Amino acid sequence: MSGLLELDGLRRRYGTLAALDDLSFTVPAGQVVGFLGPNGAGKTTTMRAVFGLTDLDAGTVRWNGEPVGPTERRRFGYMPEERGLYPAMLVGEQLEYLGRLHRMSAVDARAATRTWLERLGVADRADSKVETLSHGNQQRVQLAAALVHGPELLILDEPLAGLDPPGIDAIGGVLVEQARSGCCVLFSSHQLDQVEDLCESVTIIDHGRLVVTGKVDDLATSGPRRLVVRVEGDRDASWAHGMAGVTISEIDGGEARLVLDGSVDSESVLRAAMAAGRVTEFVFERRRLSEVFREALQ
Amino acid sequence: MIGYLVPAIVAVVVVLRLWRRHRRRTPGPSQVRAGFGPFTSDVGLVASREMRERFRGKVFRVGTLLILAVVGAAVVIPTLTGGAPQPRRVGVVGALSAPLRATVVASAKSVGTSVHFVSEPDQKAADGDLRSGRIDVAIVDGRELVVNKPMKPTDSSTTARFVGAVSKNLGVAKAIEAAHLSAAQSSALAGARAFPVRSVQPGAGKGATQTTSIVGLILVFVMLSQYNTWILFGVIEEKSSRVIEVLLATVRPVRLLSGKVLGIGLVAFAQASLIVVFAFVLAEGVGSDLLHGTAPLVLVSTLAWLVLGYAFYCWVYAAAGSMVERQDQAQSLAFPLSLPIIFGYIMALTAAGSGSASSFFEVLAYLPPTAPFAMPVLVGLGTVTWWEFLASAALSIVCTFGMARLAASIYRRAILRTGGRVKLREMLSRAGG
Repeated sequence: MSGLLELDGLRRRYGTLAALDDLSFTVPAGQVVGFLGPNGAGKTTTMRAVFGLTDLDAGTVRWNGEPVGPTERRRFGYMPEERGLYPAMLVGEQLEYLGRLHRMSAVDARAATRTWLERLGVADRADSKVETLSHGNQQRVQLAAALVHGPELLILDEPLAGLDPPGIDAIGGVLVEQARSGCCVLFSSHQLDQVEDLCESVTIIDHGRLVVTGKVDDLATSGPRRLVVRVEGDRDASWAHGMAGVTISEIDGGEARLVLDGSVDSESVLRAAMAAGRVTEFVFERRRLSEVFREALQ
Repeated sequence: MIGYLVPAIVAVVVVLRLWRRHRRRTPGPSQVRAGFGPFTSDVGLVASREMRERFRGKVFRVGTLLILAVVGAAVVIPTLTGGAPQPRRVGVVGALSAPLRATVVASAKSVGTSVHFVSEPDQKAADGDLRSGRIDVAIVDGRELVVNKPMKPTDSSTTARFVGAVSKNLGVAKAIEAAHLSAAQSSALAGARAFPVRSVQPGAGKGATQTTSIVGLILVFVMLSQYNTWILFGVIEEKSSRVIEVLLATVRPVRLLSGKVLGIGLVAFAQASLIVVFAFVLAEGVGSDLLHGTAPLVLVSTLAWLVLGYAFYCWVYAAAGSMVERQDQAQSLAFPLSLPIIFGYIMALTAAGSGSASSFFEVLAYLPPTAPFAMPVLVGLGTVTWWEFLASAALSIVCTFGMARLAASIYRRAILRTGGRVKLREMLSRAGG
């Protein structure tokens, strides 16, 4: 299974508000891609556009180079932000029904339903009505609904919202497993630590425009170098004040976080620190995704 | 009845052939895929789900049992209370000649009853039997009639009509005896028959057919209201639970909507057919006359118009449901939507009750919103020809297609709109544009 989702020049206006403003990015197969942005950035509108649930003013959504239509969408799986299941319908029957709408045979849909309910730990609730399940179990069933037909592309809007740690582990594990098996996985979240743990790549948008996209490792190591330095007896890191090319971003209990620009090398910093006292900590620091996110939106 | 059925069957066959030809010309995406039968297509799968969920629901099962109970009562109770005519009991005090007895029997027959003579030893005994209700009337010495209480001229009961006929006919018989006519003359006079009276307008009330019409009207009203409500709340449930986003990611809006109305429509038709078959079988079993004469035709036309009425209204309710997203918003929609149904129902009940149809009512029988109520009543009154029936049905079908197109357009635009009630004016302007 392999594929490539391309979003090319998407535009959508609601009155005077530009929900999508010439938005373009790609989602390759085999990766879990985090889709980030502040509230109202256009993430849900983008996801809905992939499924034809939002009329676009301009732009194209392509799958493997071809414009996406009803036939392609049958091979996609979607988990909307505000969960979408029939409240009074039995869990097992609901999943079979959705599988059959994706052109599965009755036998295959039944087998896939059983498989996914067992995989997500809710097999014992197959004969329960959805409305009787806890929030976490409803979330698992919703994910099963997106997966039951074996999609090539999986798009999930806030799949981790409101889940406890075991729930996050269960759903996160499935997403990674799907990506490893060649599926395209794009999911949105505001839980940046989880995104950093699960995703190889992220795409950040704001005001409907692309801000940053790339691999998490590249984004974490790109930009100015960061150092964490602790000098014994100097709780205010006074040795670093006024040092050319060095910005103190944070001082916490004698531990100074420094941002180095291109004009200064780390050896110079180490020498300056050693001149001030005994250096007990000197570590190069990766940027957290949350920092990448904040900087991208500044 | 055959005069209606044959053209109806021909019309159904023609419509089905045209529909199949249309399908062959314009294959949809799901039809391009080989190997999927009618109930494994999108529409079929959605319809199957609707049917399964509805059949499983308590509302359906309890509602069906209640309707069957009401229909059963309507069929059975009349046969228990007045179905088999009881003979009039006539006390005879003194002698009553054979010709006069024959006159009493003929009088009973003329008012649709029979007679049973009871010999009374004397006037006192006859009076006692009259007071106790053991006899209806006493003939004393072949010269006078005695009843328990005076009878008003406006009394139209069988006993009153019988007593009136016996009183008049015995008087005539006595007069013939007194005139000493020949046997042939007496026989000719005794066999005299009143001139038949023919009316230009149909008569008021047609007994069994009238009752069947009214029962059918109530059924159409109850079932149309029930199934339209299902459509309304079914669409709102999908919108409010957001399951619509998952469904429309896979199924086209028109196909989803078509599956829903087809599924609920099939449930409605199955329920209505069950009720009609139950009524036929029960009526036959208990010997009810509710389904005699033109009553079966009324019932069949009621069933046909239930289908046509549902086909017309289901689109209206589906479009309305797509414009709101909460149950409380639906409450404010349900009443104005049901106004044409209530209006048609009341007008039809009035016409069926009075046994006559005004010109205005005949116009209502050709308007798709009111025809499901008005046309079966006209069939019951016998004032409509088969081609008028088909013309009204054809007009309803044409309007239903138009309504379906408009509703599908509104549904497609409104069903994914959230954040408040969608304005009809906006939808109509966009649908038209």
